[in-house]
Amino acid sequence: MILILSKNQETTTNEVIKWLLAMEKKFIRVHEDEFFEIKTKEKRVYIESKRNCFFIDEITSVWYRRGGLKFKRFKYDHPSVDIHMNEHQHWLEDYIIKTIESKKHINKQSTSHVNKLWILEQAKKADLDVPEYFLAEHTNDVILNKTITKPITGNITINGFRDYADSIMYTSVIEEKEPNDFFISFFQEKIEKDFEIRSFYLDGKIYSTAIISQNDEQTKIDFRKYNLEKPNRNVRYNLPKDVEEKTRQLMRSLDINCGSIDFIKSGDKYYFLEVNTVGQFLGVSTVCNYALEKEIADYL
Amino acid sequence: MRYFNLFSDILITKGASRILISDLQRNVSELHSLELHELIEELKTSAIEEVLGFYDNESKEIAQEYLDFLLEKEYGFITSGNWDHNFPPLSYDFHDYNIISDIFIELEDISVLNKIKNAIINLKIKHIVIYCSKDLSFDDFYEIDNHFKDSAIESIEIFSSFNTNVNEAFFQNLNLKTARIHSLVFYNCQKAPFEVKDIFRFTLNFSDQDLKISCCGKVDLKYFSTNLTKVLEAVNHNSCLHKKIGIDRNGNIKNCPAMPQSFGNIKETTLEEALHHPDFKKYWNLTKDQIEGCKDCEFRHVCTDCRAYTEQTHINKSGLDTSKPLKCGYSPYTNEWEEWSTNPLKQKAIKEYGMSFITELFRQTN
Repeated sequence: MILILSKNQETTTNEVIKWLLAMEKKFIRVHEDEFFEIKTKEKRVYIESKRNCFFIDEITSVWYRRGGLKFKRFKYDHPSVDIHMNEHQHWLEDYIIKTIESKKHINKQSTSHVNKLWILEQAKKADLDVPEYFLAEHTNDVILNKTITKPITGNITINGFRDYADSIMYTSVIEEKEPNDFFISFFQEKIEKDFEIRSFYLDGKIYSTAIISQNDEQTKIDFRKYNLEKPNRNVRYNLPKDVEEKTRQLMRSLDINCGSIDFIKSGDKYYFLEVNTVGQFLGVSTVCNYALEKEIADYL
Repeated sequence: MRYFNLFSDILITKGASRILISDLQRNVSELHSLELHELIEELKTSAIEEVLGFYDNESKEIAQEYLDFLLEKEYGFITSGNWDHNFPPLSYDFHDYNIISDIFIELEDISVLNKIKNAIINLKIKHIVIYCSKDLSFDDFYEIDNHFKDSAIESIEIFSSFNTNVNEAFFQNLNLKTARIHSLVFYNCQKAPFEVKDIFRFTLNFSDQDLKISCCGKVDLKYFSTNLTKVLEAVNHNSCLHKKIGIDRNGNIKNCPAMPQSFGNIKETTLEEALHHPDFKKYWNLTKDQIEGCKDCEFRHVCTDCRAYTEQTHINKSGLDTSKPLKCGYSPYTNEWEEWSTNPLKQKAIKEYGMSFITELFRQTN
């Protein structure tokens, strides 16, 4: 039995599930709004929510897509009992998650939320080229027009901020100095790119796509600023073998076996930018005919 | 030395006297000369300077213009020293999880759906097309949609004869109460009952024509589409019949309801059984590359085939009809489109299909 942890109506999950159905592989899909209770029957542990109920030992493989397993915590009136029972429940939950993560899996709840700053350090250790970066509360050390800033958060949008297009914090070039100090922010050397590369990584295999946007001012800095009239050209690409090997090494050190990795190609160099474990990859999968949703279904 | 690299999502289909350049990312195709094709081929094996050196001064200018055109269209890019071998070719494999993608039902009696509903759900069919020779009531539409409320069906398209009970309120109600109806066409309608605005979940069309099953299979520029999935299917399979199943008005299970061979009747055979018949899929892998005329046609990867109505001139070694589609008036040799129904070479086949009235009709109206 395959366990899928995802969000309601998540498109990538839906597409993978269509393949699982065709392959006649059985699966359980858990949504982000489900809360489980841990129970036992004849010495076997099972967990139960309003939608799902399954034995932990039934699960053979796990795909952690988004969301995660969440548990109901029971409260007790006596404060000391409550503290004790809280810890008791914590270890039970921890046991369930650890057991599930020890099965064959695509990503894990515990390592899937990545720290962009930490990853940059690990990438340097793996000997990948990383554009120079620093944190600062001011723009004193910023070289104008040669430095970019971007969020260090996983979610790059601010919900409800004006309209949707305005709420996305795209990578931007710093064009003028700020007179005042501000909250500590991330700055990075701007690389003059030939093009961007997005690589999908699954268990050591790498499927790369060149995203060629250089002819177009709109998408020069951040390819997610789509040009609908004349879309970027997304074509299959092979990273050099040594860059692929360093990437594998990085992913192993981060204990992540699936994700999308962004690079910039500049001359002979391949600059590592970031890893995204929960990103959308159906778009590049389709235009490059990689059939990644089938690859995932095959793996599970 | 500089080198021209063609992007892997540019598909060039060579015809007898022209090429079609299909941009599989931007979903557009353009016709060009064989001359341009030659240049593109040369640029695959020689540097730009070498290729230009092949030509005399006058032709060199034209070759340079072609090259500028390829770059302006972003069909490729230039590298120096060598081609960029990190750009591998696109894979033309066709991946699809469906057992059957579409079922076409010629419906006389709506109760037929009760018989085949479970098979449709079982086979995880994605799209249903229903052609009804009668007019359907509101309850009929509702019932059709409701039959599949717990299924993997993604869309239902219905062709129904028009009746005057159909008005705007009818569709507002239908919009509220149905989920999978995706397209509605009312034929035999002299005048649309109201002005159709884009407010429903489904598309809605009224046609003054008397649509018949035999109207299918027309080949025309307006039906061509440059779409990666369709192109990949056409490169590997028959662009009409692959993963299709049909039921004709008498309940016969066929690959397409307009084709002669039946694989059983729904009264005694299930769709699954029919599908297992050794001949059911015999046309599924017949690509345009194997069809007379089409194999020399630059449109063969963006066109939809028809095996129900053909010129009936060629049978291959496996007994498959590999004749050109009857309703195609295009010649890849002269690059001209002509009215197919009056072509003297097609009259024998037209007569055999009992379609002589179409030839007559065309002569009268023109």
